[in-house]
Amino acid sequence: MIDIATKTPLDPQRDAALIRQLELDAVTARKKIVEMGYRNRIRLHYGALMSMVEIILTLYRCWLNVRPADPRWNARDRFVLSKGHGAPALYVALWMREFFEEKHFDGFRRLHSILHGHPDRHKTPGVDCCSGSLGQGFPVACGMALGAQMDVAAWRVYALMSDGECNEGSIWEAAQIASNLKLDKLKVLLDRNRKSSYGWMKGRNDVEPLGAKWRAFNWEVFECDGHDFVSITRALSDAEAVTGKPAIVLCHTTKGKGIPYIENYPTKPNILLTDDKYAECLAHLDAVEQELRNG
Amino acid sequence: MDKPKDITTAYSDALVEIGRAFPNVVVLDADIPDSCLTEPFYQAFPGRAFDLGVAEQSLPTFAAGLALVGKIPFYNTFAVFAVHRGLDMLRQSVAYNRANVKIVGHAAGQSLGYAGPSHHTLEDISVLRALPTITILSPSDASEARQMVWWMAEYDGPVYLRLSRAVVPAIHSPDYRFQVGKTELLRDGNDISVFVTGDLVMLALALHDKLAAEGIGVQVVNVPTLKPLPPEEIVRHGRKTRAALTLEDHNVFGGLGSAIAEIFAEHLQKPVKRIGIPDTFTESDDCEVLRAAYGLGLEERVSTLRKLSKCQFTMR
Repeated sequence: MIDIATKTPLDPQRDAALIRQLELDAVTARKKIVEMGYRNRIRLHYGALMSMVEIILTLYRCWLNVRPADPRWNARDRFVLSKGHGAPALYVALWMREFFEEKHFDGFRRLHSILHGHPDRHKTPGVDCCSGSLGQGFPVACGMALGAQMDVAAWRVYALMSDGECNEGSIWEAAQIASNLKLDKLKVLLDRNRKSSYGWMKGRNDVEPLGAKWRAFNWEVFECDGHDFVSITRALSDAEAVTGKPAIVLCHTTKGKGIPYIENYPTKPNILLTDDKYAECLAHLDAVEQELRNG
Repeated sequence: MDKPKDITTAYSDALVEIGRAFPNVVVLDADIPDSCLTEPFYQAFPGRAFDLGVAEQSLPTFAAGLALVGKIPFYNTFAVFAVHRGLDMLRQSVAYNRANVKIVGHAAGQSLGYAGPSHHTLEDISVLRALPTITILSPSDASEARQMVWWMAEYDGPVYLRLSRAVVPAIHSPDYRFQVGKTELLRDGNDISVFVTGDLVMLALALHDKLAAEGIGVQVVNVPTLKPLPPEEIVRHGRKTRAALTLEDHNVFGGLGSAIAEIFAEHLQKPVKRIGIPDTFTESDDCEVLRAAYGLGLEERVSTLRKLSKCQFTMR
């Protein structure tokens, strides 16, 4: 386990071993996510979960300054999962960062569990904010960043939102206030997979051009490949350097990434995995893992 | 009685007081710090007060974020927007997070009479009573408002403060101490209990005096905390009289009257007459004119109480 938040961009040569480990972690995370849904016989938003795997792992393995043994440590970086339906992916990242033990996945979404359907700060160590109603985590993160600004804090506030979430008017209201208040301790990542729950957004509930929109709201905008650890860390590093205004990283992603059955699912992929399909997903992920190990 | 002081000015003064005592107190507004009388706080504590602009649904979320990192945000706008505009934000980001946010609803009830139903707040108590973790306070005069603001700053949890615009005489003696969840017996009487909240306490006191002249004993109970409302706080008063009447500048559904009726039904089985605004959008006019027209007039209520004192109400 790598447990140091370096907040520096990964270098493909120098950090080759770490990058390969992160890629293996991404496979483990995807396995864990399908297992959570399959074993508990629960429909999960697999598409939205797969698209954020590399982003959330980057945050918890390379970026966030947090203390798993002291989850409420005052000087920690704050993270808000604004796309709250991505909770299972967040739980996997928190488990990998050793916020809790693996056994807790057995009770996922069950009574008395520490892992609920959507993030709950009262239940899950490492969760800073309850979320699940889209369009709210981001403005709450703005409020946190205002607090950080008032205190001239060394810590930062990070939020992960989705492009579908940009349909919510509350996002743009908060975006405007955040730039008016010059909230430069706020670093936002946007999982831009171009689909909302009901499918492709283009021609239906389109939010593009997102880059131009965020720039028009006076944000500093960066873009990256949201499935490439090097690309994500480079963009985050650029975002860290911004002062005087908030920064957002548009992470180009693919809904359902990493599992062909989910990636190619014709309608919204919040499905109940059958025995066959679960086996098919695992077989694919095993093959990817083998390929990575063979180098 | 002291010189009348309006409740909002009392709030404004107290806000500056707690600003001095609690360095973490932060003020948020949505383009009407002038109406909410928060400007003195901006002057006293620059850098601790933020006007977010015409953005009421961002008040609960930004306040929740501030609270989650250790601030004590008081957010201000007209009650109708403070509660309803961002109700989902209040539910998810404030109440569910149990964020230490202070929601200050200004000009509640029909305080903004002339502005019309779009600016009246007649559903806030009802809606917020159903939200876990939120405490609901409704001051009846300046002294009570001031004490509530202090309590809010000390208490860790979300609180809604329902402020009327009314200018009311001081009804409390200087030794009155507001305690959350406690009721206050303002006048004794053995026939009927009047449970009342907010500046309508003045109406209840007038009813007491009028009926005393007729030999009818009206007990007046101030209910400054609408939630939590421990049943025993109501039952101990309700036991003494034959029936109860409730008074509120709020829809008759879900507010003080409902809360009292629930407790009476479970613990006392005595008649309760709820007086508030019928389930309707009212009109534009002076607040007192509207109140009288929609059921909160003195003469009309005197007659209700006369009937109640003889228990002529049929329980259905």
